[in-house]
Amino acid sequence: MRETVLIVDDHPSFRASARRMLEADGYDVVGELDNGDGVVAAVEKLNPEIVLLDVHLPDIDGFEVTRRLLDANGATPQIVLISSHDFTDLDEAVGASGARGFVAKSELSAEAISLLIR
Amino acid sequence: MTAPRRTLIGLAGLAFLMGIAAFVVMLNGEHNVHRGAFAGLFLATGWGFVGVGLWVWKQRSAGNIGPLMVAVGLSGLLKGLAFSNDSVVFAIASVGEVLIYAVLIQLLLSFPSGRLETRLDRLLVTIAYVNTTVVQLGVFLFTAPAKADPSNPLLIENSEAAGVLSAAQLDISIALLGAVVAVLYRRWRSGTPGRARVFAPIVAVGGLTFLLLMAALVVEQAGLSSDISDAQTLALFTSIACLPFAFLVGLLRSRFSEADAISELLAQLGEGGGRGALRDALADALGDPTLELAYWVPDQDAYVDAAGQPVRVDPAPAGKVSTIIEHEGERIAAIVHSSGLAEERELVQTAGAAAALTLRNERLDAELRAKVAELRASRSRIVQAGYEQRRRLERDLHDGAQQRLMALGIDLRMVKERIEHDPQGAAELLDESLHELNEATAELRELARGIHPAVLTNRGLHAALKGLASRSPVPVELLQTPADRLPPSVESAVYFVVAEALTNAARYSRAHTVTVGVVRDNGHVDVEVSDDGVGGADADQGSGLRGLQDRVAALDGRLELTSPQGLGTILRATIPCA
Repeated sequence: MRETVLIVDDHPSFRASARRMLEADGYDVVGELDNGDGVVAAVEKLNPEIVLLDVHLPDIDGFEVTRRLLDANGATPQIVLISSHDFTDLDEAVGASGARGFVAKSELSAEAISLLIR
Repeated sequence: MTAPRRTLIGLAGLAFLMGIAAFVVMLNGEHNVHRGAFAGLFLATGWGFVGVGLWVWKQRSAGNIGPLMVAVGLSGLLKGLAFSNDSVVFAIASVGEVLIYAVLIQLLLSFPSGRLETRLDRLLVTIAYVNTTVVQLGVFLFTAPAKADPSNPLLIENSEAAGVLSAAQLDISIALLGAVVAVLYRRWRSGTPGRARVFAPIVAVGGLTFLLLMAALVVEQAGLSSDISDAQTLALFTSIACLPFAFLVGLLRSRFSEADAISELLAQLGEGGGRGALRDALADALGDPTLELAYWVPDQDAYVDAAGQPVRVDPAPAGKVSTIIEHEGERIAAIVHSSGLAEERELVQTAGAAAALTLRNERLDAELRAKVAELRASRSRIVQAGYEQRRRLERDLHDGAQQRLMALGIDLRMVKERIEHDPQGAAELLDESLHELNEATAELRELARGIHPAVLTNRGLHAALKGLASRSPVPVELLQTPADRLPPSVESAVYFVVAEALTNAARYSRAHTVTVGVVRDNGHVDVEVSDDGVGGADADQGSGLRGLQDRVAALDGRLELTSPQGLGTILRATIPCA
């Protein structure tokens, strides 16, 4: 059974690359979203096991989206935060966020994700 | 008011003759019970008013006060002629016999400026003139003379309607006099202490005169005994006879109080003092503690206070009036004072003129402070603009090229994994990657051009402006550019002025063409970008133009936007360039 993923990032070419990479490595990308506000509803609807969530979104940031997802009723997906910033800029905030972990966009790979969610 | 000498001599002659005539007529008037007393009082009143009036007129001061006093005197002498036994003289003088009261009302209400300042004043004077001319003539045409009077050659018929009209005239007169006394009293009470001193004799004698006149009219209306009436008339005429001297005292006091104020001001100016001393001295001299000074700064086309902050002068704030002070034809400052001083504009002007030199020095100081304040503000705006530019740059890099490079990284890692077992898929991914790389390169190039266009450094202004023109969505006609290279800072400012103007034209103007011209002339570079769009652009809206203004001001240049609604937009910049 392929694991299902929702990609949340406001940059379309990055979403396209991430989708290609995940699908090539056996994940099932069930949806893409370019903002933070619609994530809770999209998760309720698509029920993904993993949410690949950009920290810098145009409306609300990835930490706030994480908080909303953890507060929401129902099954909570595993959240992997991603950003083009270094982890050193964000480590405290990531630690306090309740997300499963963080992967820098420059190091994003299926292997890095699978290491986090196991 | 200037008056040719001949006019004054002519009027003096006329008053002399009318006075003699009235004196003789009154002494011989058969319908006059107190001939001697009346003749003397009328002569004193007529000559008194004319004499003081001519003197005031000759001094060329106090506006219309001189001519009005002469008019009161002459109409007083005309009234005296109504005692004539000759029916024609009697008729003419009788029609005009109450005119003196209307002129007197005008004189009192326009003291001391010589102008009727308020709408109420003008209304009261208009009613007075209608009542003493039109209504008076109406009454006379339909009233048979009393038994003792000569016949009335103007009598059309003796009508009862005349009695009603006459009663109405009396009522109007009583109400009018009451209103005038009230206005005078209020004016006396509400003025500054100096003003009250000037008003006191006029309000006292004028008020008494009008009260006596009111009483006389009430007695006449009630048809009371002629003994009371005669006594009142004597008292009234005595009071009127004293009036010109009350005016004289008032005018002299006015002059002395102005002189006092000005000499006190000069003494205070002589003592010097720090910033604010001049304002305090003027406030003291004019008796207005709320007085403010506003210095004219021609460069900014605006008034500023002593600290260099903008001040509103025209229109003045509520309850205030501004008086502009000039020195040798040059506007220096404005005195923003209480509207209570509005009637003393001449005094404010005189005080301003006395303080003009000090004002001019303080203006230079204020101008400097205004410049410093403007420099501070523009420096802070430049710092802020720099910060915002860095933020924008970071955001543009992060959202644009950086994201594309991240995606490129993911794709290239996939290519590496596939290249052996799926060369076809790897080649397709490489095509995608190349596309991303081109996009990222283009975005970086655009970003770099926004920071500083390399073409400007390498190939000069003409090539850089041609580049801007070719990328503009609105067709651009590039008229001329300087043949020689300009200093880099000037070239950069010119480039960004044109770039901003073209961006705005494309976004807002709905223009069909934009014309760009850059001319180096006489130590300046003049840039003009004009379009044929809808106009209505506002320099205060949006940060782009303000940023440009600061950029140009940093080079001691000027930026000017002209954008009338419907008539296109012209952005001009003039930058010094030795």
